[in-house]
Amino acid sequence: MSGCESGTYPSQPKLALFARKSAAVSLALSRGFFVGGDDLNQAACRRAIVVAIAAALSLGATLGASAKPRIAASAGLQTATTAASRVVTDDVGRRVIVPAQVNRIVTLAPNLTEIVYALGLGDKLAGDTDYCDNPLEAKSKPHVGMPQNPSLEAIVALHPDLVLAADSINRVDTADALARLGIAVYTAGGDTQAVLTILDSISRMAELMGAEPQGAELVARMRKRLDALHARLEDRPMTHVLFVVWEEPLITVGQNTFIADALRWAGAESVVLSKRNWPQISIEEVVRLQPDYIVFAGSHGETAATELADVRSRPVWRDLDAVVVGHVVNLDEESIRPGPGLVDAIEQLARDVHPEVFGEKSENRNSNGETQFALRSAFESAMECASCAH
Amino acid sequence: MSSASPVVTAQRATGVRLNVEQASYAYAATDRSAPKFALGPISFEAKEHELVAILGPNASGKSTLLTMLAGLYKPLSGRIEVDGTEVSQLDLRVRAQRIALVQQESELLFPLRVWEYVLQGRYPHGRRLRFESQEDCLFAGNALAQVGADALRDRWMDQLSGGEKQRVILARALAQQPSLLLLDEPTQHLDIGGKLELLRRLRKLADNNRYTVLVVTHELNLAAEFSDRIVLLHKGKCLRVGPPAEVYDREMLEEIFEAPLEVEMRPSGRPRVILRGSR
Amino acid sequence: MRPLTPRRVALNCALLGLVLFVVVVISLRMGAYPISVADIVKTLFNGVLRRWEAIAPEFTSVVFNIRLPRIALGILVGASLSTAGAGFQALLRNPLADPYVLGVSSGAALGAIISLAVSPQTPGTIQFAAFAGAAATIAAVYFLGRRGGQVDSATLLLAGIVAVSFLSAVIMFLMTMLPGRDLRGMAFWLMGDLATQPRINSGWLYLLLIIGVGSIYAASSDLNLILTGEQEARHLGVNVNRVKLVVYVAASLLTGLAVSVSGAIGYVGLLVPHLMRMMFGSDYRILIPASALGGAILIVFADMLARTVVAPTELPVGAMTALVGAPVFIYLMRRRVR
Repeated sequence: MSGCESGTYPSQPKLALFARKSAAVSLALSRGFFVGGDDLNQAACRRAIVVAIAAALSLGATLGASAKPRIAASAGLQTATTAASRVVTDDVGRRVIVPAQVNRIVTLAPNLTEIVYALGLGDKLAGDTDYCDNPLEAKSKPHVGMPQNPSLEAIVALHPDLVLAADSINRVDTADALARLGIAVYTAGGDTQAVLTILDSISRMAELMGAEPQGAELVARMRKRLDALHARLEDRPMTHVLFVVWEEPLITVGQNTFIADALRWAGAESVVLSKRNWPQISIEEVVRLQPDYIVFAGSHGETAATELADVRSRPVWRDLDAVVVGHVVNLDEESIRPGPGLVDAIEQLARDVHPEVFGEKSENRNSNGETQFALRSAFESAMECASCAH
Repeated sequence: MSSASPVVTAQRATGVRLNVEQASYAYAATDRSAPKFALGPISFEAKEHELVAILGPNASGKSTLLTMLAGLYKPLSGRIEVDGTEVSQLDLRVRAQRIALVQQESELLFPLRVWEYVLQGRYPHGRRLRFESQEDCLFAGNALAQVGADALRDRWMDQLSGGEKQRVILARALAQQPSLLLLDEPTQHLDIGGKLELLRRLRKLADNNRYTVLVVTHELNLAAEFSDRIVLLHKGKCLRVGPPAEVYDREMLEEIFEAPLEVEMRPSGRPRVILRGSR
Repeated sequence: MRPLTPRRVALNCALLGLVLFVVVVISLRMGAYPISVADIVKTLFNGVLRRWEAIAPEFTSVVFNIRLPRIALGILVGASLSTAGAGFQALLRNPLADPYVLGVSSGAALGAIISLAVSPQTPGTIQFAAFAGAAATIAAVYFLGRRGGQVDSATLLLAGIVAVSFLSAVIMFLMTMLPGRDLRGMAFWLMGDLATQPRINSGWLYLLLIIGVGSIYAASSDLNLILTGEQEARHLGVNVNRVKLVVYVAASLLTGLAVSVSGAIGYVGLLVPHLMRMMFGSDYRILIPASALGGAILIVFADMLARTVVAPTELPVGAMTALVGAPVFIYLMRRRVR
């Protein structure tokens, strides 16, 4: 019903008013199910709109207030005043204001947690990541999340004096965000290409955290072991190994990684020479290169025996020279970290790939237990020395 | 409007809505080759209350002519004027207020109700971002009534039958309040009943509501029965313009449509075309 | 006949705004750092009045430097992606279109990778590079997608698909060739990450958001008509080419903006416009603002869940948006069918 006969050409508004009244078609459901049209009470409409505008304005105001980070206000997070703090440059070139007395440390990577404990500072560790499980005490510390994506709030909640980040694992954005919140964050690592660089990094961190003597001692001990190893292996030719980071796809290490350097300290050399850090190669290449030993970095549960059995069941792999004679080594993946356990791993590896020098290699020895024992003894001696220092 | 020339005033006095003067068009497959298709020159007039049929076989240029009339192509030579103004020079919205082109089909992406669809026809009258007024609703309602689709108002567009949909599409065009109504082969998908109904409706719209209706078609008898004037096209050339009785010449039609035909005059004064030998 | 009125639009937007406000308040309350509602209110109150001394510095840090910026970013990203999605669905005449189908996010990802490879230690550059990549892709796809000098929906879609495939291949190539440690950030970028704050003042980004959404909204009547057919729209007086160009540029820039600051968060641009259609209808005059607000609500809510469900571990936002959005979608779909 349009109120308009089909004979007239609609041109007069007056007619429109009449027509509107009689065009009483009302729809039960205009569109969707959110009606809210002209039937509503005018006053209710207005009230709702006013409330919404007020809410929007307050939202806008608070968002506007946050537009610029209040760095000045949050500087109070750092417990030290300028007089009792100093400026250091971390391994990636960032300038960090570190308090003179570091009592609460948060680590963002497993290797850093190990270092903290190795320096005897386990008590001062206020928090670490979900992945920090070595030593076991680290598991029971408050967690801040995963190394790649830690919760900023959780870190703030721990009131840290110093946050340690690892360049090889943590993101720049994390360190950046923490710095902008006024928290001292020291990134260790940088271009970690050599084992000795790692030792330097450890001693710098020790100094940072007020554990200089422990640090010096730990580094000295590690250095001594490395030198001893080097002496024993000096005249030996390098064993050719393939270090397997990941099996499918097959990923190994490049020349510039610290793992490659660790291999060298163990008298071994990767058969794959690559400038890329984690080159992916095909199994055919391995067949062509025929390394003397194949080194896996497996998880806790695996022993050399199980790893060997597993490799022997795989086609192509089982026909490799190294596999046929059982030259398969399994290192604990946790020890292949830029941390105190690295020297143990190097020694372990040296023993495995240079049996002629050390003469004790046995296929069935549980290399994990060996490493665990070594690591624990390192900590224990650190603890003893820490206590005797006081 | 402006102070018009004597010609224009004269035209308006006689109610001439559409004036096509020596309009021509051409387009080529590529720029450098010979023109693939040439249209024109064509001249004719259409007044208020008139239903003009643009008639011709396939590929005779009817649709091109219609697109020119709608203002989407600018004629290469000559002029096309609606209500005294050159069509291709009109602003888009003003043009849509004067001319409505009715498409054959409508492909909707999201569900829409009939009245929403028809209401969209009010777009040319108002700002770009607009919310429809009560007046708009009135005009849309009237348009629906004019096509007899009032009962379809609350239905969903995709639930309509072919004939119903076409009425609704026509209603949207009418909601534009145009002077000129252009239809491109509107009877193509309809059955004989539907064809008749549509043409009758168009005839009524022209007669009662002062529209000027132009229908592009190849249906000889429908054109003869309902139109006031026929523009006969063949291969881009305008062969004849005039009332059906004058235009329907047997020999010419046979040549154009390439079929054996017979033209007989009916008592109403309108011709009828049948296939020869089918008596 | 009850056409859409400005009042109805305003009312529904107010409703959504209210929901957004509630979600923001809840999101402010939740987090790893323990802080009570009372303290939050006090902190906000004093912060707005700029009375920083009255608040504990840690509260300032948590509320104003961690939570609020993250929520604000979530609103920005959610609104941008949803509006862009609605715009693209109209432009490409395809209900399955999402903001990434024309290659904007792939271009941004490429920019991000290149910047990570070139200068991994400078955090801000990744965002600029991502935006640059997005802008370049927008231009390239536009020129590829033209036909006869005009924006043709089908050709544009094809050009976008080509761009996505090509850029993805280049990205994969680069990821294998470049040193592994520099690309750690990429994984999070690809999954979407609201923790990293934009380097430029958020105010500018919000301005861009308003301009982008506003441009598309100004064309919403036109889009309604274009959705019934391009030729029909032309005959009704719509400048179809200009509208398509404006919508293309605005929607692409909104997408580029969102992706540059937070990576490629998925599902929002596709789900939210459809959700809003089910609730408010297909009329773009209400769909655009509803999508913007709806997207903001979804992202803020999903991010809150991502932060708190397995705290302190943070889940990727993109996964949470799907987990939250999909059930709502299914529920609405079933209601509709019944």
